[in-house]
Amino acid sequence: MKEVELDCLGEACPVPLVKAQKKLAELEIGDILIVQIDHSCAMKNLPEWARTDGHNVEVEEVGDGEWDVIIEKVK
Amino acid sequence: MREKTRERYDVVIIGGGASGLTAAIYCGRARLNTLVIEKALIGGLATYTNEIGNFPGFPDSLTGLELMNKFHQQAKNFGVNFKLTDVKSVRMENEIKEVETFRNIFECKVVIIASGGRPRTTGAVNEEKFLFDKGISFCATCDAAANTDKTVMVIGSGDAAIEEGMFLTKFAKKVIVSVIHDTGKMDCNEIAKAQALANPKMEFKWNTVVNSFEGEERLEKVILKNLKTGALDTVIADTCFEFIGYLPNSEIFKDQLKLTKQGYITTDEKMRTDIPGVFACGDIREKELKQVATAVGDGSIAGVGAEKYIAESEMFRNQIMQKEKIGMIYIYSAIDAPSRELMPMLQEIEKEFEDKVKLNFIDIYKGRSLCDRLDCTASPMTIFYTKDGVVIDGSMDCSKPAIVEKLKSLI
Repeated sequence: MKEVELDCLGEACPVPLVKAQKKLAELEIGDILIVQIDHSCAMKNLPEWARTDGHNVEVEEVGDGEWDVIIEKVK
Repeated sequence: MREKTRERYDVVIIGGGASGLTAAIYCGRARLNTLVIEKALIGGLATYTNEIGNFPGFPDSLTGLELMNKFHQQAKNFGVNFKLTDVKSVRMENEIKEVETFRNIFECKVVIIASGGRPRTTGAVNEEKFLFDKGISFCATCDAAANTDKTVMVIGSGDAAIEEGMFLTKFAKKVIVSVIHDTGKMDCNEIAKAQALANPKMEFKWNTVVNSFEGEERLEKVILKNLKTGALDTVIADTCFEFIGYLPNSEIFKDQLKLTKQGYITTDEKMRTDIPGVFACGDIREKELKQVATAVGDGSIAGVGAEKYIAESEMFRNQIMQKEKIGMIYIYSAIDAPSRELMPMLQEIEKEFEDKVKLNFIDIYKGRSLCDRLDCTASPMTIFYTKDGVVIDGSMDCSKPAIVEKLKSLI
């Protein structure tokens, strides 16, 4: 079970979502993907997609306008 | 399994909508270490509303999101912490309660449940396929503009269905409403009903429910079923708006709290649930009116209740159930003269035993909650004796010789 970071700082929608989808597909069940974003739109669509897909999601505000979206792949 | 990180808080609030944020503001201001856990966006259901015109203090109406951002900022100003994730499970029966998310276990003295609800769906065939962005919507405000000059369907006839339906006529060329009742009968208020029936862009399909949703990638058709004749009726629609009520988010509490048939949590007027230290507020409660204004009222009561509960717990543990001396807890009522008159005599006894006995008074006229913590249904003029912080005996014999003898036997 590994943890992978994905730097999407400075990237606008839908780039972070597309990158995250690709990256998560490469991971194993139980792995954790941490997507770093600073675009408030990604802060909405990224967790929404991951949640709808059934993964565990947590969003952490790491700085002013900067978030880590933490996704645990469950299937 | 990864090891979950444990964190301690005074109060954990489940849900970051209007009621949860208000509770957070009160807890934060009372200097309680407070955490709000929200699974989606801070602000809750109110953020789906484009215009909030009836929240007092904002005469120039603002969007739900703008209003909720102000709530959020105010809670942050009082030092409230936020976590954006789902609560997986709760354990609330002990004095220290546990709220579990996928990476943490939060331990706390008080849990405030403000988890609200979500839109109810019809359960018709293929509904799942088209939910939210594929043609089935629950928010006219969000999706009306995208339906300019299109044909839309509305399911339901309550206030939300009809008022949002009329709002949609400002954009769509036609709004077709499926109503479960007989011709002319709706669940909404009379004013809305009269306006809707007079609106040339609105068309009604009486006695109908949704049988299925059809389409390729996106929704194209809604198949209605007539409840009287059983006949199917195909309606071409670009978007279907469902306004058939809300489902409370109470699944994770169902084994620990009593819920109503619809899944709402019942509380008393102080927002207390059946479990000490567990409060519920906002849309999750069984109540009459679900508005931002009522959520704020609920949240403030729950927040103050949490603060009082924690203060009382500390007082009970450190003072009433003290471990240093033999304890004598006298239950009286401020409005019961005979029970009041015994107090000087008891103070004399405490003095006579010098530093070996500690006397505490509980006034049940002020409230039963301290007495309830002794797990008793005691009436005034009852004395509880404790040793090492544990109740050894309870007695209604308040004669001086009996008390002195009892205390001597405990020393």
